[in-house]
Amino acid sequence: MSQAELDKLIRSNYEAGFTTTVDAETLPPGLSEDVIRFLSAKKGEPEWMLEWRLDSYHKWLEMSSPDWAHLHHPPIDVNEVSFYSKPKSLDDAPKSLDEVDPELLATYEKLGIPLHEQEMLAGVAVDVVFDSTSVFTTFKEKLWEAGVIFCSISEAIQNHPELIKKYMGSVVPKGDNFYAALNSAVFSDGSFVYIPKGVRCPMELSTYFRINEANTGQFERTLIIADEGSYVSYLEGCTAPQRDENQLHAAVVELVALPGAEIKYSTVQNWYPGDENGKGGIYNFVTKRGVAHDNSKISWTQVETGSAITWKYPSVILRGDNSIGEFYSVALTRHMQQADTGTKMIHLGKNTKSTIISKGISAGRSSNTYRGLVRISPRAENARNFTQCDSLLLGDTCGAHTFPYIESKNPSATIEHEATTSKVSDDQMFLCRQRGIDPEKAVSMIVNGFCKEVFKELPMEFAVEAGKLLEVSLEGAVG
Amino acid sequence: MSLSASALAQELKTQALANAQTNGSAGDALAALEAANFPERKTEQWKYTSLQALADGHLNATADGELTQSLPALSDYVVTINNGQLVSHNLPDGVSLSHDGPAINGLQTPFAFYNSAVASQPVVLTVAANTRIEQPIHVQIQSASDAPAHCNPRLVVVLNQGAEAAVIEHYHAEGQALTNAVTALITADNAQLTHYRLQGEQASSLHIGTLIIDQQGVSKVDSYQLMTGNRLRRNDVRALVSKSGAELNMKGIFVVRDKSHVDNQLCVEHSVPNCESDQNFKGLAGESGKAVFNGRIHIHPGASGTNAELSNKNLLLNPGAEINTKPELEIYNDDVKCAHGTTVGQLDAMQQFYLQSRGIPAAEAKRMLSLGFVNELLMTLPHEKVAEWATPWLEAELAHTTPAGDRAA
Repeated sequence: MSQAELDKLIRSNYEAGFTTTVDAETLPPGLSEDVIRFLSAKKGEPEWMLEWRLDSYHKWLEMSSPDWAHLHHPPIDVNEVSFYSKPKSLDDAPKSLDEVDPELLATYEKLGIPLHEQEMLAGVAVDVVFDSTSVFTTFKEKLWEAGVIFCSISEAIQNHPELIKKYMGSVVPKGDNFYAALNSAVFSDGSFVYIPKGVRCPMELSTYFRINEANTGQFERTLIIADEGSYVSYLEGCTAPQRDENQLHAAVVELVALPGAEIKYSTVQNWYPGDENGKGGIYNFVTKRGVAHDNSKISWTQVETGSAITWKYPSVILRGDNSIGEFYSVALTRHMQQADTGTKMIHLGKNTKSTIISKGISAGRSSNTYRGLVRISPRAENARNFTQCDSLLLGDTCGAHTFPYIESKNPSATIEHEATTSKVSDDQMFLCRQRGIDPEKAVSMIVNGFCKEVFKELPMEFAVEAGKLLEVSLEGAVG
Repeated sequence: MSLSASALAQELKTQALANAQTNGSAGDALAALEAANFPERKTEQWKYTSLQALADGHLNATADGELTQSLPALSDYVVTINNGQLVSHNLPDGVSLSHDGPAINGLQTPFAFYNSAVASQPVVLTVAANTRIEQPIHVQIQSASDAPAHCNPRLVVVLNQGAEAAVIEHYHAEGQALTNAVTALITADNAQLTHYRLQGEQASSLHIGTLIIDQQGVSKVDSYQLMTGNRLRRNDVRALVSKSGAELNMKGIFVVRDKSHVDNQLCVEHSVPNCESDQNFKGLAGESGKAVFNGRIHIHPGASGTNAELSNKNLLLNPGAEINTKPELEIYNDDVKCAHGTTVGQLDAMQQFYLQSRGIPAAEAKRMLSLGFVNELLMTLPHEKVAEWATPWLEAELAHTTPAGDRAA
């Protein structure tokens, strides 16, 4: 009996008791067609969207979770995950910062996050007294004038179905991989961006600044379309620790850069990494991919310091001639964190170029893996790739690994890859100590220097925060 | 006959087990084979190499063909193994030959387990302690068969304390023979071994081989691996650097052309402090040749003070050729120096222009530059006789990759 049939049987038993749970607005853990129907109905989605989700679900049923990554974790049972729960009501949220965990506040303080942002991050119900709402309105007006569409994906499904139908799933197909299929079936919400032809987006877009997105679920879906000759810079993630416990987070991000367009996508990810003994923390399984058409450019920059497990490979399919793909990454792991992250650069067009700079830092008993693929197709004349991945080990109980796949089928392509592994040298430490810098500061300084190549790719405010984030993350990492 | 990868894997295993039983093998070797899984389509280590060629039924028959060509002797001391059986040997004082040697550590592939289960007559060469053998020992491993068939040569070289020797492991195969070889080099303290692995079998033959370098003592091993592609060539090389102070150098050249295939899987295991390893491989792929290189450096938690390097440079000569390379680092210790670098490129247009502007035809210029690319390694071959044999052999292979009149533009 196939898995689908089995599932059907099991599901039928549950049907009777189902309706009662609807009122509670929280679904019992588990995934079935009914859960998806419920989710879709709850969001008032059109029929075609439901079909799309169900199709993804059936694809997902046929798949098994990938086991090739250098990660060790108990099998993830999606039947323990609740796929819909009523958003936290304002009544449950802390009334003011006084009710928030002081340790969390101390971290915010160190990161230099402004007070009203702190409140948002901590989930404090933002009072209308704060002028934040008016700030958002100003942003929206300015974007509207430029013709930029920036809204939640749910809104886009309602208001821009033609764009969603055309592009959703065009970069990451429904059945791309286990987690992408799961996301396609149950995605909760996410961002949608459309930049019209020839428009340079007047400001940096960020998930954080879209107020209705403050509580995105575990299965985000982001779609960014940059029409011909346009430019957009998008910032994702927040730079503060989340209070979440051990949970599955499976997002999908799709970027479409039409001819001549440029998309810059920056992420600072700091989900809860779990404690020293590896208890708790987010399991972060993310599929991010962009398609670059003729003369376009997609640039991924990521700073990954959180999550118990990171499984993430932001990729670029260089479909058009003269297109450019870039990947800049800093991944820091400590305690029992495990990261298996990298990129894929698929060169299909002529004169395509890609650059990969990856910096991995491991401390504690963590494991940090770079896994990348550079593929040159037979038609990609004069393709060019440069890859550099460096690892820094802090302590002798951590691991740093490099698995770069390089596949070339075109003799005119030039590919270079180099990797090094090092530690903070005694000489460097001596120099700093001699000048009166305490060991912790010194290590943080040296690590910052190690990551500089990547940080300089980040938008300015982000770069400052990323630097500070590293500092906070490294606390206690040095004996 | 074409089979799905999983059906083929099943069939290979059934056949291998049947052969092992006929052979009367038992114990650990049989158990290992029983537990092994033959590669399927999604087996990561076999990602780029299909075993579809074996669907012809190589494992169903034993190679017993007559050789039409023979290898030239590169030394006064020659050991000849034909179709997996020892035929003749002439060895210097201080080197003994037996069929009973130490167990081989570190075997991993199902084919190596199969070899262990069926190789009834392993050739074990033991170099006595504190003995220096002046001339290299030339081990000729040959096989021939008109129809698909296989043989399982097994060679173990043991260098006792303070021994110094050179061994040339030289393969030759004709027809449709599959050589499923296992070679182990075991070195004790203060031993010094120079090893050559020359693989120039006929294009129609197949080779699946495992090489284990087991440095049990503080020893120095220099290994030179030169190979051309054939219908299927797969080399699993695993070095166990297991005593502090040991040193390992591996250098290699692989040339694939005309639909031929080479898959090199290297792994250097550093499990103790203060050892050094250096690997330098160069690859050339022309016509519709396909080359795979996977070089792994594995630093275990205790291996502080390790200095390990790997370099793999490749030239892609024609459209249609393919190179897949993956240098891997797996590191569990912070006090190490590790680096790898790999490139895939083409011949320098300026250099080619320079030669052509001096009246050298395009094809010849290409051949000269290709040879120049690998010459750096060829020139380091320490034994003159090997270099004298290898240079024209590779030159001929390179000439093949540039058909006359090709690409004058």
